[in-house]
Amino acid sequence: MIAVLGVVLASAASAVGDVLSSEAMYQSAMRFAIVLAFAAAGEWVAERAGTLNISIEAMMIGGAYASAVAFGAFDIVPLALLVGVLAGVVVALVQAHLSHQLSIDQFVVGLTLNLFVLGLALFLDSKWEAVTSVVKPTRLPVLHDIPVVGEALFGQPWPMYLIVPVVPLAWWLVFRTRWGLEIRSVGDNPQSADVSGIHVNRRRRESIMVAGAFAGLGGGVLVLGQISIAGYESGHVGLKGIIAIAAVIFGGWTLRGTLMGCVLFGYFFALQQTLPVLGYRINAQLAASLPYLVALLVTAVFATRTRQPRALAQPFVRGLT
Amino acid sequence: MGFGGEGAGATALAPAVGLRGVTKRYGPVVACAGVDLELMPGEVHGILGENGAGKSTLMKILIGLVQPDEGSIELGGRDVVIHDPQTAAALGIGMVHQHLSLVEALTVWENVLLGDASRFDRSAARRQVMETAEHYGLEIDPDRRVGDLSAGLRQRVELIKCLRRDPKILILDEPTSVLTPGESEQLFTTLRDVVAAEQRAVALVSHKLAEILHATDRITIMRQGRVVERSRTVEATASSLATAMVGRHVNLRSSAAALGVTDLVDDERLRAEREAAAAAAAVAARPVVLDIDRARVVHDGVAVLDDLSIQVRAGEIVGVAGVEGNGQRELGDLLSSLVTLDSGSVVVNGRSARTGRAGCMAELGIGVIPEDRHDSGCVLDLSVAENLVLDRIGSVARLGLVDRKRMRARALELMREFDIQAAGPDAPFGSLSGGNQQRVVLARELGHDPTVLVAAQPTRGLDVGAIEYMSGRLRAAADSGIAVLLVSTELEEILELSDRIVVMSRGRVIGELDRAEATSERLGLLLGGVGDDHDRSRGDAA
Ligand SMILES: Nc1ncnc2c1ncn2[C@@H]1O[C@H](COP(=O)(O)OP(=O)(O)O)[C@@H](O)[C@H]1O
Ligand SMILES: [Mg+2]
Repeated sequence: MIAVLGVVLASAASAVGDVLSSEAMYQSAMRFAIVLAFAAAGEWVAERAGTLNISIEAMMIGGAYASAVAFGAFDIVPLALLVGVLAGVVVALVQAHLSHQLSIDQFVVGLTLNLFVLGLALFLDSKWEAVTSVVKPTRLPVLHDIPVVGEALFGQPWPMYLIVPVVPLAWWLVFRTRWGLEIRSVGDNPQSADVSGIHVNRRRRESIMVAGAFAGLGGGVLVLGQISIAGYESGHVGLKGIIAIAAVIFGGWTLRGTLMGCVLFGYFFALQQTLPVLGYRINAQLAASLPYLVALLVTAVFATRTRQPRALAQPFVRGLT
Repeated sequence: MGFGGEGAGATALAPAVGLRGVTKRYGPVVACAGVDLELMPGEVHGILGENGAGKSTLMKILIGLVQPDEGSIELGGRDVVIHDPQTAAALGIGMVHQHLSLVEALTVWENVLLGDASRFDRSAARRQVMETAEHYGLEIDPDRRVGDLSAGLRQRVELIKCLRRDPKILILDEPTSVLTPGESEQLFTTLRDVVAAEQRAVALVSHKLAEILHATDRITIMRQGRVVERSRTVEATASSLATAMVGRHVNLRSSAAALGVTDLVDDERLRAEREAAAAAAAVAARPVVLDIDRARVVHDGVAVLDDLSIQVRAGEIVGVAGVEGNGQRELGDLLSSLVTLDSGSVVVNGRSARTGRAGCMAELGIGVIPEDRHDSGCVLDLSVAENLVLDRIGSVARLGLVDRKRMRARALELMREFDIQAAGPDAPFGSLSGGNQQRVVLARELGHDPTVLVAAQPTRGLDVGAIEYMSGRLRAAADSGIAVLLVSTELEEILELSDRIVVMSRGRVIGELDRAEATSERLGLLLGGVGDDHDRSRGDAA
């Protein structure tokens, strides 16, 4: 595995010059980072409440497929995105209810949901094709003419810019509302929260809903905000939800760190896409595995237990201490 | 009779809350059996009883954490059902929990706000915390992280959290077990205020006679789930309470530590001092058996043992005193071969332990009575006999197979010697009472003639009889030449048993006292120094 990574990194290193000056590279990295950030912001909220919510992947897939179908049917972008949000919330409802009401293991539920939703989207797609056209990039005058990064920052399709309110919203919810205080308390010490009169599992379910809404929106933005590919394809989400979880771990359960993680992983997704375009020949499978390899390494290095919510992934039952 | 009139006046007042015939069973155990209890406004009501008497269960029923099987609760003249802590809070019942209601990762003001319904407003919340703190003389910095506070300050936060909601009924379950003597005194002063000036009803739960006598107006004594006596505090004496609580006549002097009456220990001490000094001189001449030298253990970037040095001589009991959570558990783990030293050494009779290897301490002849006998001491599902030979299975094995006959014979021998009450050597360990479980652990550890015996909180959760037995055994072990290290948060126990006392704080030894110079005041001051330290650093931060 190290050898594989070595090869990849070596070829990457030789490409650094080209990549650094490639406007397309920045544009693509930014897009990946933003899509990841929607899901990661939601996942961050759920994890602060104590759920390691791996069905974030299913939430993204649901959002992506539903948005694509809705866009095909109505041709209205905001409506399509809203449908994506709803789809994410529906998946979240199932996850939340099964893991925090019926007390089924959250990982079992999450894994099952990921496989089920992926299969369902595939099946529906074969019957009822999700057609989309492409949202044209909104180019901000003057700013987008800044060399190299102008296009990446100020020339994205407009749904991408929804990340600008979403991230502060997540932060505000968690740090500036009573709900957020309760979210943090149930993630860190559910017994204490319970004795203090907080409905632990209710708050955890709600946090998963927030994750579902954000991830569903992320899925919608993923299909509607692409420049090149139009429409939903199976494998489109392609484990980006899982990478979003890695970003939260990389960020040490802070929102700022999580966003930095998204940028890092976004860069590697872009690299994997851009290298062939720039004329570098590397094995496609190898290149495709690059972001996941990096995620694996990064989580191994950064997953320190000291900063994680102390009750992360622990189910809560009253009376058990 | 002077109290008669006053008493009549008090009963004319309606009780703040009344429990009627409350019963709670856990399987065969009846934790509460038809308990009646009335808490009056303007009174501190002491609830006294040995460990396991059912005090906590009764309080949990009142706060909605446990549902009673039978009985009713009357509040303000009507029956109420308290489903959960939320309902209790709405009815004006608040509880100061010992461990369970603060979130370490949150700040003081966030914790105080947790669970109420007012608007989420940081500056208003901080102001309210400071107002409540000032009103009751409970100084605290609202912006500190609770995880960084000492146990005493955490309890202060609990109290503020509770009082800010203006409860009619305030429950405190064993509140002084995490406090230094100075902090306990301050708590009682606050309770006086709360009761006298604001007419709240307070329930103070404790198994310590002295503090019940000192801080309450009225006493209810529980034994095995039943109320066995009620009296007004002015009419009670230490010996009448002790007899009612234990259910037989007890000698206040010999059981002083078990009953939690330190001042009596001190009386005794004055007399014993002269003999002790002579004995201490004799002990001082003996060789050092256990030598812990600058032991350092770092966990998650925090030094849980910080250059800790303790020496124990043959035939000596060294008591390690300290407020809970200051490295005692880690010290026990170290001597149980459960943690690896980052630096420093543990030497027994000149042989250095290779820490980190399983069983390295046992090899050197260190026997340990662990802090939590369920966690690391014994296997609940195995039989008494199996538990007794668990760590020396080789001694009863032949050709790699356990010789059951020999194992049972050995077990019977130990059961007789240590007077272990069980259905037989094949009875599951889990079926034994706490005191008998502790005897099994003791028998096993003393069974292989250790050179060092470590007893970590050996009497926690035991009843008075079992505590006395344990103390006698530890004393006898020392007299037979074993070096005994007693780690305990109970000052009374430390004072009664130790030849020498070291005080531990944040993984370090911060003071050492000889038996002759140790009194509860001096020990309290040393422990209190820790509290001051916290206060000072808090002041700096502010
Ligand atoms: N959750 C529980 N499950 C089973 N037994 C319990 C439980 N809680 C308490 N008990 C038992 O009920 C009895 C009373 O316990 P408790 O109320 O904690 O006593 P106290 O607080 O007076 O020490 C004890 O015998 C204890 O073992
Ligand atoms: Mg109790």
